[in-house]
Amino acid sequence: MIEAFYDVSPAWPVIIGGLIAAAVPNHYVRKGLALIAPVLAGLLWFNVPSGEHTGGIIELGGFTLETFRYDGLSRIWGLIFIIAAFINALYGLHSKDRVGDASGLIYAGAGLGAVFSGDLLSLFFFWELTAISSVFLIWGSKTNESYKAGLRYLAIHVLSGVMLLAGAVIHAADTGSWAFDSSLSVETLGGMLIFLAFGIKCAFPFMHNWLQDAYPKATVTGAVVLSAFTTKLAVYALARGYAGTDMLIWIGAIMTAFPVFFAVVENDLRKVLSYSLNNQLGFMVVGIGVGTELAINGAAAHAFVHIIYKALLFMSMGAVLYRVGTVKASELGGLFKTMPATALFCIIGAASISAFPLFSGFVAKAMTLAAVAHEHHYVVWFILLFASAGVLEHSGIKIPYFAFFAHDKGHRVREAPVNMLMAMGIAALMCVYLGWPDMFGIPGGYRALYNLTPFPEVANEYPMWTFDHVVGQMQLLLAALFAFAFLVRMKWYPDEKRSINVDFDWVYRRALDGAARWGFAMFGRLWASIGNVVAAGRNRMGGRLFQAFSPMGALSRDIPSGLLAIWTSALLAIVLLIAYLAP
Amino acid sequence: MSDQSGKHDEHIHPLARPFLWLDANWLKSSMLWVLLVLAVGAAAIDFVHHRHEYVHLAEMTGFYALFGFGSFVLAVMVGWFVIRGFLGRDEDYWDGEGDQ
Repeated sequence: MIEAFYDVSPAWPVIIGGLIAAAVPNHYVRKGLALIAPVLAGLLWFNVPSGEHTGGIIELGGFTLETFRYDGLSRIWGLIFIIAAFINALYGLHSKDRVGDASGLIYAGAGLGAVFSGDLLSLFFFWELTAISSVFLIWGSKTNESYKAGLRYLAIHVLSGVMLLAGAVIHAADTGSWAFDSSLSVETLGGMLIFLAFGIKCAFPFMHNWLQDAYPKATVTGAVVLSAFTTKLAVYALARGYAGTDMLIWIGAIMTAFPVFFAVVENDLRKVLSYSLNNQLGFMVVGIGVGTELAINGAAAHAFVHIIYKALLFMSMGAVLYRVGTVKASELGGLFKTMPATALFCIIGAASISAFPLFSGFVAKAMTLAAVAHEHHYVVWFILLFASAGVLEHSGIKIPYFAFFAHDKGHRVREAPVNMLMAMGIAALMCVYLGWPDMFGIPGGYRALYNLTPFPEVANEYPMWTFDHVVGQMQLLLAALFAFAFLVRMKWYPDEKRSINVDFDWVYRRALDGAARWGFAMFGRLWASIGNVVAAGRNRMGGRLFQAFSPMGALSRDIPSGLLAIWTSALLAIVLLIAYLAP
Repeated sequence: MSDQSGKHDEHIHPLARPFLWLDANWLKSSMLWVLLVLAVGAAAIDFVHHRHEYVHLAEMTGFYALFGFGSFVLAVMVGWFVIRGFLGRDEDYWDGEGDQ
């Protein structure tokens, strides 16, 4: 333990590493930074004394910024963000992309900074930094679509930041406190604005489409990096500020269910994973809404394992995209013959997200479901159970089956680069380790996960590995697997075909965009018409003035002096008459 | 061009060669029955063992198997007929967006 570093947030080495990487043209130096920065962050994380700790206080303009709050909640989120940053760096070692290297590091560092923020102003700063730094991971694809998707992503996330700041200002004015803690409430204007800001980043229903729009268009490495931080930061923020808020239970339940239907018929497998991500966030949001210690543990543990297995799935699809050039299900199949290691890692990720026993998703999701049932939210429990079967459909079966098996499309590509395989291998090992039960008196890997949760005593008391639990889960999954085989055999399973499905983004990308274009066009015409009227009036007036005053005008005509004398006399007479008659 | 089985395809990864049977037709045709046996076998445990659940309805015999099968079919059918049926568009639907 080095006391001098107690107050240094793990965010700083990662952010500083990113800033240096932006200035360094040498590829190897940048990659070294990308690997070393998370290691330094990890050392700072381990260096913190046990228990709760507050540090990194910065006095700025009369405000006290708290940049390093270390407690049960930030501890688990901080660690998984550090692990994700390292795995992402390893995965992207082959990529010679200075902007991507820098933005990936700054983005990860900003995520860490936000997690360790103790006040709303620090949170706002890092919140916006995540948005601004991460958009380069989307633009890095250098396509017209990615450019537009990046702009939409940036606009939506900057809006989230603005709402956060506005809410923070109102909240501070009401309460006199800038603290980022459970004092936030949806019953106040400020609290509601902050809640909605978190909701945008968390991809709440009707606010979710930035995710499915942007992530599939990001670079191979960028999508992996993006999958780790943004939405899980929002989940953390909700857990910190709004645990036990009832409306989150239903918001989360809807989030688990509706993406399932879209993912079933989505052709782009990275977009399938984006819908799947939305579905997984729903489980965490439900847990936060329930708000008991078991439920918060469930949400935290789920976020931890989810970051790993979701990154693993995105990494495997990234490897496919890197080698084959597409992740369209309609174009893929049979890749296990040439990319067997990638296929194996993808299957491990799929088994984890599907919550098969012995894999990490099983030990995390179970706590949330149990907490929901404990609190008698039975309808929500059934929705979550439905979503569990849905996860198996789109992430457990569809992703590995259509990419690596199904109909061999004859792609004879090389296996993924070594650095990609190493990153996937580490993630796959973690998926297995964190789901491993106690065996022969040796504590299972899931104990390590449970000990990291905000309430480890509660987590360790939870009866995870019961016969009933394992059997029930296997019954659900095997029956769902059989349903897949049955539907395929009966030809009742939809073909993978080159198509897209419009979602709620149609409202702003087509309806509102069309309305805005129509409005601009109409305004342009109106403006032109006004211009014409004004010009015509001006011309008419000008013409009359010209007719009156120009050298050829009426007033310039030669008038006989006799006639002028008569008129002058008449006017004088009228004036005299008026003066005489006036009282 | 590769042969269908891949046995003589020099581009097949050495690690994948022992697993080429995964692409065999006999496996594809028998997978349905294998999974049926596994699913029914798992569900049959309920006949000899009473599960204790937080939600009492889940203690019904075969509950998870029926729910898993039904949920999967529901997800696929709604996705197919509702999402693709009403919201499906050609792949170039968004092409030219913002440039009109």
